[in-house]
Amino acid sequence: QDCIKPMKVDKRSGSGVAKIHIEDDGSYFQVSQDGGTRKLEKAKISLDDCLACSGCVTSAETVLITQQSHEELRKVLNANKTAAPGQERLVVVSVSPQSRASLAAQFGLNPTDTARKLTAFFKTIGVHYVFDTSFSRNFSLLESQREFVRRFRGQADSRQALPVLTSACPGWICYAEKTHGSLLIPYLSTARSPQQVMGSLVKDFFAQQQHLTPDRIYHVTVMPCYDKKLEASRPDFFNQEYQTRDVDCVVTTGEVFKLLEEEGVSLPELEPAPLDSLCSSVPAQELSSHRGGGSGGYLEHVFRHAARELFGIHVDEVTYRPLRNKDFQEVTLEKEGQVVLHFAAAYGFRNIQNLVQKLKRGRCPYHYVEVMACPAGCLNGGGQLKAPTTPGKELLQRVETLYGMVRAEAPEDAPGVQELYGDWLQGWGSERAGRLLHTRYHAVEKASSGLGVRW
Amino acid sequence: MKDSLVLLARVPAHPDSRCWFLAWNPAGTLLASCGGDRRVRIWGREGDSWICKSVLSEGHQRTVRKVAWSPCGNYLASASFDATTCIWKKNQDDFECVTTLEGHENEVKSVAWAPSGNLLATCSRDKSVWVWEVDEEDEYECVSVLNSHTQDVKHVVWHPSQELLASASYDDTVKLYREEEDDWVCYATLEGHESTVWSLAFDPSGQRLASCSDDRTVRIWRQYLPDNEQGVACSGSDPSWKCICTLSGFHSRTIYDVAWCQLTGALATACGDDAIRVFEEDPSSDPQQPTFSLTAHLPQAHSQDVNCVAWNPKEQGLLASCSDDGEVAFWKYQRPEGI
Repeated sequence: QDCIKPMKVDKRSGSGVAKIHIEDDGSYFQVSQDGGTRKLEKAKISLDDCLACSGCVTSAETVLITQQSHEELRKVLNANKTAAPGQERLVVVSVSPQSRASLAAQFGLNPTDTARKLTAFFKTIGVHYVFDTSFSRNFSLLESQREFVRRFRGQADSRQALPVLTSACPGWICYAEKTHGSLLIPYLSTARSPQQVMGSLVKDFFAQQQHLTPDRIYHVTVMPCYDKKLEASRPDFFNQEYQTRDVDCVVTTGEVFKLLEEEGVSLPELEPAPLDSLCSSVPAQELSSHRGGGSGGYLEHVFRHAARELFGIHVDEVTYRPLRNKDFQEVTLEKEGQVVLHFAAAYGFRNIQNLVQKLKRGRCPYHYVEVMACPAGCLNGGGQLKAPTTPGKELLQRVETLYGMVRAEAPEDAPGVQELYGDWLQGWGSERAGRLLHTRYHAVEKASSGLGVRW
Repeated sequence: MKDSLVLLARVPAHPDSRCWFLAWNPAGTLLASCGGDRRVRIWGREGDSWICKSVLSEGHQRTVRKVAWSPCGNYLASASFDATTCIWKKNQDDFECVTTLEGHENEVKSVAWAPSGNLLATCSRDKSVWVWEVDEEDEYECVSVLNSHTQDVKHVVWHPSQELLASASYDDTVKLYREEEDDWVCYATLEGHESTVWSLAFDPSGQRLASCSDDRTVRIWRQYLPDNEQGVACSGSDPSWKCICTLSGFHSRTIYDVAWCQLTGALATACGDDAIRVFEEDPSSDPQQPTFSLTAHLPQAHSQDVNCVAWNPKEQGLLASCSDDGEVAFWKYQRPEGI
């Protein structure tokens, strides 16, 4: 379906038919009858227009979304330079481990050096704090674990308790809300994604720590895809009281690369800076990650937790069995010869299609599905760096290896997590935890075009 | 010229509507037609006339644009503007819709069955080509979603013997696809047409592909394998396709369909000027640079645009055509003497 952005056109007086001429550089000129020319304005689509429309299906290219986000960051940094004392905004950048791995591959650095040098770079341009979304991911994973066990136990009470479908991928969520909202929304996990948990952490917890209101902080995330920009713009992640977003700006890995180029900085040559930590009591000098692949590890964590909690089985290594293609895998847990847990990971549009059709026909055999829009997952996101001379497959392999170099830690063991559940959230399963770590979804009405064009 | 194509019968197949497409079953005994009235009709011969044996009416909410028989002849697929593709199972004269393929964002323009019978391809105004796989339990699953075209995809057709797929688009190109590991990839783009490519047809051997276009030409393309004798460059292990013949100056309007007879090699075209034409390759022509001659030209074959021409797979010279005027016509083609 075509984009429905309404065009505001200034009507000029004067009759006659104008011709439109396209220059070699792609700009449009209107040539009126007297031969005079006028350059025509390009239509621009903003993120919010995109969200309002039920027309286009999300795609990694996302040509429609304005790509000037790193320029928006610049604007804020520049404004800070000339701001009166006390008028500055605190600039926080949260880097995803996938973006970090992509940059590491590009510059031939290990993840730790990449993190330290990125911290150094951002601080030289005026950023105050640089965090790692692997930290907020702990909360996403823990909430996902608890949610599944609760829904599995509540099966008898609700026909739509299972399967639980992950919701951390905004590409998938956009598609689900726009094309099969009423069917799919009941199954989606309500746990917030690491980006949006970080939004809560920075604008609520960290803001309090810094004695600032949330609108005084400008929160930027670095992500492997463009769809994360849509996620950040969701009304559910907008703080009405302070009129501020939990995540103000999302830049892709590619945009960070552009920023480095524009600043004339060679990342490898920078002096590494110490890493920042959200929890002042916990110094973060070592990176930490999670098991289960480059898209967060949801299946892995929920499976192992459920096996333990529901069936008393300790699972050491999770065995993934590829089905019709490598982006569709399944995992089973057997107890006394019976399959008691049946999980799957479905990445890429074709596998999402098949999953949705199965759900539609009531033929989905899974209890839990980790759904990602990009084939091969987040490490292969549309905003990741491409190397002109390296074939895609080889580059991805390199990024995966670098990503996997970071030591994995159980989310409940990560320093600062238990503390935050206690102090900041006032307990597991509390009202605050529900509000700050969960979200909801909304079916989008399809706009009917009503055009009677002959096809 | 006129006498080489003789009218056998005419039926008002989709009254007050357009008839969009026709497909003969593999045995050549039945003809499926589909149209703007949202119905599929099955026609069979009774003596010298053609009668409607079945009407498939509860399948689609909008125009049915194409129909295709499975290689075994037991299934019929119908592609519709309602964004779905129905799979019908034949049980003598009855057809039952056994499954509906969903997923395209908007109008499905074409459907085609692979010679193996296990794969199906669909294409749509949403610019994508989908490959589906069917298992023993008649369950269909999407195997690949191909987004190579930049505009509406009008037609898909499978190679007669290999698992190769071709698509034609409003973006003026023809694309070819093959399987690679666990996915399908576009390995060739045929450029040359100056406007929408409406339809495609492989020759009986599968070595040549005919395309027809809004630019009023038919182009013949030939496949060249790596290390071919003619010295045509190939990239890696993929075959290359080159345009070896262009039939221009024969059609005065858009050519909506082209059909390559699997028995005789004759090429039929359906044109927006209401005419049907047949071309045959000159016997002495060079396979690398063939020449075709017009052997039949029937103006006003229909009272409006001819949308489809289809050669009967078993009976030589039997050609069916359909039109915006809602009619289906049956013709007997005989190559004129002295050609």
